Amino acid sequence: MALNRQSMMSALLVTLCLGSALGVIYSSHVCREFYAALQELEAQRWASQEQYSRLLLEHSTLASPHRVLGLAEDQLQMHAPNVESTRVVTR
Amino acid sequence: MSRRPSSAPKFAAWRFWVVSLLLLTLCSLLIGRLVLIQAIDKDHGSEFLKKQGAMRAVRLAEIPAYRGLITDRRGEPLAVSTPVVSLWANPAHLTDSGRLDELAAALNISVGDLRKRLALYGDKQFMYLARHQTPDQARRVLDLKIAGVRSEREYRRFYPAGEVVSQVIGLTNVDGQGIAGLEKAFDEWLLGHPGKKRYLKDLHGDAVRDIGVVTEARPGKELALSIDLRLQYLQHRELQRAMVETGAEAGAAVTIDAWTGEILAMTNHPVFNPNSRAGFDYAATRNRVVTDAFEPGSTIKPLTLVAALESGKFTIDTLIDTSPGRIRVGRKVLPDPSNYGEISVSRIIEKSSQVGVTKIAQAIGHEPVLDVYRRFGLGVSSGIGFPGERAGIVPNRERWSDIEKVTLAFGYGLTATPLQIAHAYTVFANKGLRIPLTLLKRSPEQTVDGERVVSEATASEVLTVLGRVTGEHGTAKRARVDGFSVGGKTGTVHKVGAGGYIDDQYLALFVGIAPMDNPRYVTAIVVDQPKGDAYGGGAAAAPIYSRITNGVLRLRNAVPAIEAPTETRLVALGGGQ
Repeated sequence: MALNRQSMMSALLVTLCLGSALGVIYSSHVCREFYAALQELEAQRWASQEQYSRLLLEHSTLASPHRVLGLAEDQLQMHAPNVESTRVVTR
Repeated sequence: MSRRPSSAPKFAAWRFWVVSLLLLTLCSLLIGRLVLIQAIDKDHGSEFLKKQGAMRAVRLAEIPAYRGLITDRRGEPLAVSTPVVSLWANPAHLTDSGRLDELAAALNISVGDLRKRLALYGDKQFMYLARHQTPDQARRVLDLKIAGVRSEREYRRFYPAGEVVSQVIGLTNVDGQGIAGLEKAFDEWLLGHPGKKRYLKDLHGDAVRDIGVVTEARPGKELALSIDLRLQYLQHRELQRAMVETGAEAGAAVTIDAWTGEILAMTNHPVFNPNSRAGFDYAATRNRVVTDAFEPGSTIKPLTLVAALESGKFTIDTLIDTSPGRIRVGRKVLPDPSNYGEISVSRIIEKSSQVGVTKIAQAIGHEPVLDVYRRFGLGVSSGIGFPGERAGIVPNRERWSDIEKVTLAFGYGLTATPLQIAHAYTVFANKGLRIPLTLLKRSPEQTVDGERVVSEATASEVLTVLGRVTGEHGTAKRARVDGFSVGGKTGTVHKVGAGGYIDDQYLALFVGIAPMDNPRYVTAIVVDQPKGDAYGGGAAAAPIYSRITNGVLRLRNAVPAIEAPTETRLVALGGGQ
């Protein structure tokens, strides 16, 4: 009987050991997956920053006061209002 | 003699024991070695071995951190860190590569140059092929997949506003450290602290997997300036235009919101493009508003007026006889442009009469004048902490000759920067309070404690006189702004050369306050060496002031004094704050 109990015990231990081994395999797999996701996100962040700086460059070129002023004056024939064409509205 | 082996081999006990002993010895040797490595030997034990293993496979990589954003007061970006890629190579691996032609073509350099550089760094493990490439450029090279060519992510500073605000913002070097202007002054604040991560590499040096982050990357902090990009651009444009019109060598302008002490715009000529280091002129990186101190000349007379009023000997209406239009002090004769006769103290400032100011100076002595200069912050740096800022000189000597006592009162024999002069004028706009200047945005709730420099009554009297300078009898009619009353003071200063004052080279100055009914914006203009007849402060600098102030008042929503219309018309409104 003692032998039987012993073998049951060792069977249990072997099972636990195997289970933990499988657990390690699983968790390292998950870890790898997460790491892949992290790298994906970091790449995305980098790409977004790249795009941001490209857009910023475009924005600063298109919206530079120099260009806006030129467009307003030349194409749209606009000008800053002089005193004669200004009226003050009091609330 | 040979014995035939028996059919049933006999158990030889000694053999068994020998083999057992052998195996046992080997086993205990192994165990002993294990114990030695794991527990006993400290120098060549497990730690040492782990380290050796790590040295072969584990590497630390830098996680780049971006430098803080610099914006204007309305959030417009002025300096941005943008991602770039630096290409590097291990020269030892690359020298024998058969694809150098391809690589050189992709890098836009000649094969000869590339070979020369590879030979130069032949004994090194690392050399840059090209730094700070745009990601697209770098991709073109990396897509060739040439063995030994690697990339590294970095950040480069980009300045969206370009030359408009270049001297104020300053520059960073290729490693992202501030080397000029605000980039230098606030380097600690803006600096990003790169993090570190650990990774495993394979034989080729490629990262196999990350082990973990050692230190997180800490990006730099944002900096919001007091500069308003719209005003800055306006000032920049008017200054450049004036440089062309007057043929001047250089110029500077600064606009301050006197109520808050914030510097709204600060421009210089010549300018440089901070986004391109090709054909770089270091002289153009100077922010003349704070780095160039010169004799302020007549622009300092309002401070002399303060001393005169405080002495109790004069009011602004006291009459002084300035005939015959010149006065002898020691061996020198100081002339006025014409004989003004008997005029009031106010008119002396309006006309900028040397004779009148000389008589005032002789009556009150030089000490009160010096005292006022010091109280208004001359000779002391402004406290904005701008790199290379000059404090100017207010002389402090034992003996004063008669002529020195007098010239001090009209702005010679001392030096000040445009910023200091403008700051001094803010006192008149603030009813006698001197509020510390800043280049950083102050929140509306933030209260700034001013220091009382002169009494409210004196400040208001000086303000009245300054308002008359742009009037009918004044020297600065051309500083007027439609719809607003403005005040200020002109100055025309001989430039100092190797042999003293240069006869035909001038600095034209104007410092103005607007609007007079609710004084708030102080602008100082410096035109260095205007050509032709229009070299004076009233002719060269005042028109620039007028155009700049016109824009400042419009953009800051100041209400023009205009008569109520009889008919209904469209209303033109300026932008917000």
